Amino acid sequence: MESTAVVPFLFDVIAYGAIFVLVVLGLGIIASMMGIFNFAHGEFVLLGAYTVYLLEQRSVPAWIAMICAPIAVGIFGLLLERAVIRRFYAAPVAAMLGTYAIGLALREGVRGLLGGQFYWVKAPLAGSFTLGDVSVSAWRTAVIVITVLTMVGCWLLLTRTKFGLQVRAALENPALARASGISTSRVYALTFALGAALAGLAGGLMAPIYSISADMGVPFLIKSFLAVMLGGGGGFEGAMAGAAFVGGTSAALPWFIKPVVADVVVFVVAIAIMKVRPQGLLSSGRS
Amino acid sequence: MSNGEFQVRQRLQSYSRRLFVQRAGLLGGMIALGAGSYLYNPRGSWAADPIKVGIATDLTGPISWGGIPNANVAKMVIDDMNASGGLLGRPLQIYLEDTATNEALAVTKVRKLVTQDRVDVVLGGITSSMRNAIKDTIVNRGKTLYIYPQLYEGKECTPYLFCTGPTPAQQCDTFIPWLIKNGGKKFYLPSADYVWPHVLNAYARKTIEQNGGEVVGEEYFPVDHNDYGATVNKIMASKVNVVFNTTIPPGLAAFFKQLYEAGFNRNGGRLACVYYDENALNITPAEEIEGLGSCLDYFKAINDPGGNKIQAEYNKLYPGVNPFTAGSAATGMYRGLKLWEAAVKEAKSVKREDVAKALDHAKILEGPGGGSEFVPGTRHVKMNMYTAVSKGGKFEIVEKSKGPVMPGECG
Repeated sequence: MESTAVVPFLFDVIAYGAIFVLVVLGLGIIASMMGIFNFAHGEFVLLGAYTVYLLEQRSVPAWIAMICAPIAVGIFGLLLERAVIRRFYAAPVAAMLGTYAIGLALREGVRGLLGGQFYWVKAPLAGSFTLGDVSVSAWRTAVIVITVLTMVGCWLLLTRTKFGLQVRAALENPALARASGISTSRVYALTFALGAALAGLAGGLMAPIYSISADMGVPFLIKSFLAVMLGGGGGFEGAMAGAAFVGGTSAALPWFIKPVVADVVVFVVAIAIMKVRPQGLLSSGRS
Repeated sequence: MSNGEFQVRQRLQSYSRRLFVQRAGLLGGMIALGAGSYLYNPRGSWAADPIKVGIATDLTGPISWGGIPNANVAKMVIDDMNASGGLLGRPLQIYLEDTATNEALAVTKVRKLVTQDRVDVVLGGITSSMRNAIKDTIVNRGKTLYIYPQLYEGKECTPYLFCTGPTPAQQCDTFIPWLIKNGGKKFYLPSADYVWPHVLNAYARKTIEQNGGEVVGEEYFPVDHNDYGATVNKIMASKVNVVFNTTIPPGLAAFFKQLYEAGFNRNGGRLACVYYDENALNITPAEEIEGLGSCLDYFKAINDPGGNKIQAEYNKLYPGVNPFTAGSAATGMYRGLKLWEAAVKEAKSVKREDVAKALDHAKILEGPGGGSEFVPGTRHVKMNMYTAVSKGGKFEIVEKSKGPVMPGECG
């Protein structure tokens, strides 16, 4: 690689890695804390983006719309958990298929509302700034910063607060948690809502980068699961590390090899790592 | 009421409630999913049996942006035909099937059209994979005429299959010399990895080189690819003049944005994309595609009387988010129905052999972008082509072909 390409390369890897981490964050929390693989996650991301689009149509400033997106999707997630998801806790495989069906219904519903079309949304920070003689996207930079803040926030919430303690207790020993006076059903509902809200945030922040369309969450879904698997279930930190790995390599490999081959290589490498480290990337994480 | 009786009654009640919920669920599901089949009967009373027109297109799924306007145009044109006395004194009836962007489902749908409904002609399909999936069922097993409306990669020479959208020759022959003159000689071909970009690029590369240009990169991406940092860097580093794009949405928006933010447009680079129509202008903010060139059989900006009339009627009937444009095959659908009408009139029959013989040289004087006609022996249409450039979120026509452009297929 030429020396002039180093900055764009690093920026591309970090920026795409950040988007990926943001998408996986919600999925990872639901998967690691509740053992539910939410196949509707891509559509939660879509709902976040769609919320931003709807509000922008009504002349709401983009940054307010982006604050509303996680709230709206979080409430939607809460209602969905109470109505449907809670019936699936005993049957994880049924949960996968059930959430897949929910995702499909959401995606086709939004497609109907959009008439199958693609639309753009304005970024709160438009344009680019120059770093040396390289032009860098302002909004992608903002997304990197927001991702780091969100990650830290989630980590603090899950490790340093009473709610986090309850969540972890409900995960590790539901019966004992209930005996200690923790309403596990309430904790699960709130955790699911949190995961959904994070997906909504990811969708809202992604909206100005990708056009709004019914399929915008789809390309992320399978690779997001790969990231969670790579992280080794159990811990939230593991899922984040997995996401950084999958997102980073997905962006980095096309700099060196053909993009169609790169996609396959990401999977092969990730599966090889899972074989070597079945306990996950960060084995010191909670189990 | 004794205790036992109460229990039985309660049980019966809950049983019927459960049954009700089940049946309501089933009914709701059926309404929500639908069979995806629609029958449009002609208005008024007719003595003669109707001529059956089968339309198989993607009303739902990822390609519904194209399928919805296709179905709208078909309804509009057939209604007009019925209003002016039908065809051969017979009314026309539409059998519309939703192929749902699903090739496997589509085969069963067109099988229904040709074996059960026994339609006289089938029009539809947007993607090449869809055309390839359904053509055998329609043409060979169903012994029915098939008209395919979308711009595509060419090389479709199946007997009884007539194509009414632009081919690579029509989209490149006038466009690429214009790009070299108004952009520069160095081309980059970023593409989605499926059949249309591969075959179109082969033709584009040949035309670029014949006209003194040079292809510095041709790269293929998975169809759902959405990060183009590496490619944008290569394009910027090799000082490319023209990005001749065949990547597709949703990743397309990220690509154009990354190019814009890297300064490609600012440095005088020109974007080109031959499926870009008025509809596609919504995919990205206007400034990111300022100066983007496209070459199609119709743009609203042509401002021709034929096109304006169709546009006005369409917008009145179907206001909303699915406009009448060339990139969605709506123009090809219009042309296909009108050419078929001309052929049926000449043949005075709807029998496949007779109509195919007349369709071979069928001609219409008016349509979107002007008249058009089949080039005998090729089952492809020669038509006017227009080069347009995006300015401030609208297309402006910068060049019109000198007369109809030959399709250059199956000759």
